[in-house]
Amino acid sequence: MNFLKGAVLFLAAALLQWWWSTRLAFRGLSPQVLLVLTVAMAARLGPNSGMGYGFLWGLFLDILQPELFGGNAFVLMLVGYGTGALRRQIDVLEVVSQYMIVFFMTWGSFLLYGVLGAIFAKQFLWVGWPAFLFDPLYNCLLVPLAALACAWLRVR
Amino acid sequence: MHREIKVSNYLLAALSALALVLLSLPLSAPVRPFKPGVVYLFNPVVYYGAKGAQRLANAPPGLARLLRADLDNVQLQAQLREALWQKSELEALRTENRRLAQALGLTPPKGYVPLWADIMERDPLHWYNSIMISAGQQQGVTLNAPVFGDQDGTLVAVGRITEVRRDSALVLLVTDEASSGAAYLSTSAVEGLVQGQGGPRLRMNYLPSEVSLSTGDLVYTSPTSATFPGEILLGHVMAINPRDPFLTFQSVEVRPAADAAALSYVMVLRPAGAAEWAAAAAEAAAVRPLEKLPLLPPVRKPGVPAAAPQVKRSSGTAPAGDDEEAGR
Repeated sequence: MNFLKGAVLFLAAALLQWWWSTRLAFRGLSPQVLLVLTVAMAARLGPNSGMGYGFLWGLFLDILQPELFGGNAFVLMLVGYGTGALRRQIDVLEVVSQYMIVFFMTWGSFLLYGVLGAIFAKQFLWVGWPAFLFDPLYNCLLVPLAALACAWLRVR
Repeated sequence: MHREIKVSNYLLAALSALALVLLSLPLSAPVRPFKPGVVYLFNPVVYYGAKGAQRLANAPPGLARLLRADLDNVQLQAQLREALWQKSELEALRTENRRLAQALGLTPPKGYVPLWADIMERDPLHWYNSIMISAGQQQGVTLNAPVFGDQDGTLVAVGRITEVRRDSALVLLVTDEASSGAAYLSTSAVEGLVQGQGGPRLRMNYLPSEVSLSTGDLVYTSPTSATFPGEILLGHVMAINPRDPFLTFQSVEVRPAADAAALSYVMVLRPAGAAEWAAAAAEAAAVRPLEKLPLLPPVRKPGVPAAAPQVKRSSGTAPAGDDEEAGR
């Protein structure tokens, strides 16, 4: 994947995340498009690219939120690293594997972000039970779409 | 593989360190300008995204306006068609009104009832010979009935009926070669025989040789004509033919007053009382063939009006039985 395609994917994903969370949020729930795409990119391109994309998309999320500048960047970077590290253990390109990774990475990211809040903002940044319970499922719905987007951009 | 692991570990350490610095020292000197820089880089995504979303949100009202405009367009086009149709109808009514107003000013000869009819067909091959009108036996048109036109509010001779059908009739124009009729000149009041030439002109024959003729003289139908009532304008003299020393009469070329090509309607005269006959004939036509209908009452000349000028008969050169068809 060349730089232009990567830039297009980065901007389109950032725009989609912002648009979905501001326009299509249902009862405060919206999928974490950038987390799903970070998993997809790391599964296809490895931990380095996954960490790069995750860190930049995390910075984008950080400028949309008032607290913990750098928190999302750290979390998504770790998601990219984790997924890339899992490539050595399991076939992360398999659909079921990706569902599992996205599901548990979502919970992991929530908890890690809360812990970062407890450390750096003196309070555990809890996302709430509805988001904690339903967002992983919501994110899993996006896994095929992320795979389609990667296939369209010929990400290997 | 190990190299990739190494690189990823280094990258993890570097990015983690950067993230932790951002998290732990948000107000430090290197971090404070970093955040506005990131905002400067990523904010256009949000800004243009909001603008695009706003534009998309405005799309449905714009589409609705477009649909409304399309519906209005269809409706206005229908109204325009209706207005054009009404305009053409108004024009037709105006023309009809003008014709009727002129018809009111035209007095048919005494003893006749006027019947207005449209010209249905004008055969290009017989342009100066005949026309077909939209009145026939049902309307009381009779054979040999005189047909007139309106030329600037003046009644002018057009021809006579030679064939009557149920709802139409054929008019033999005065310009047809088979058409002829007695007429007189307005200045000298000498009488002659006007004959059609199959073209745009008429010829007036049998004028006394001693009479001086001049172009522009008006030619009227003679009261002695068997077809036309008297005092009906036929045309005017447009040329005087050279005198033939072997003939005892002279002739002139006459331009017909009725421009058959410009006529759109004509007036057919029928004798008073023919309307009742027409009703009876229409009733009879439903059960009997046309040729077995009762004979029409003969068309009689209405007589000489009181104001008619004194008409001199030519010295026996004109045939006594004029208005006869030459070949039909």
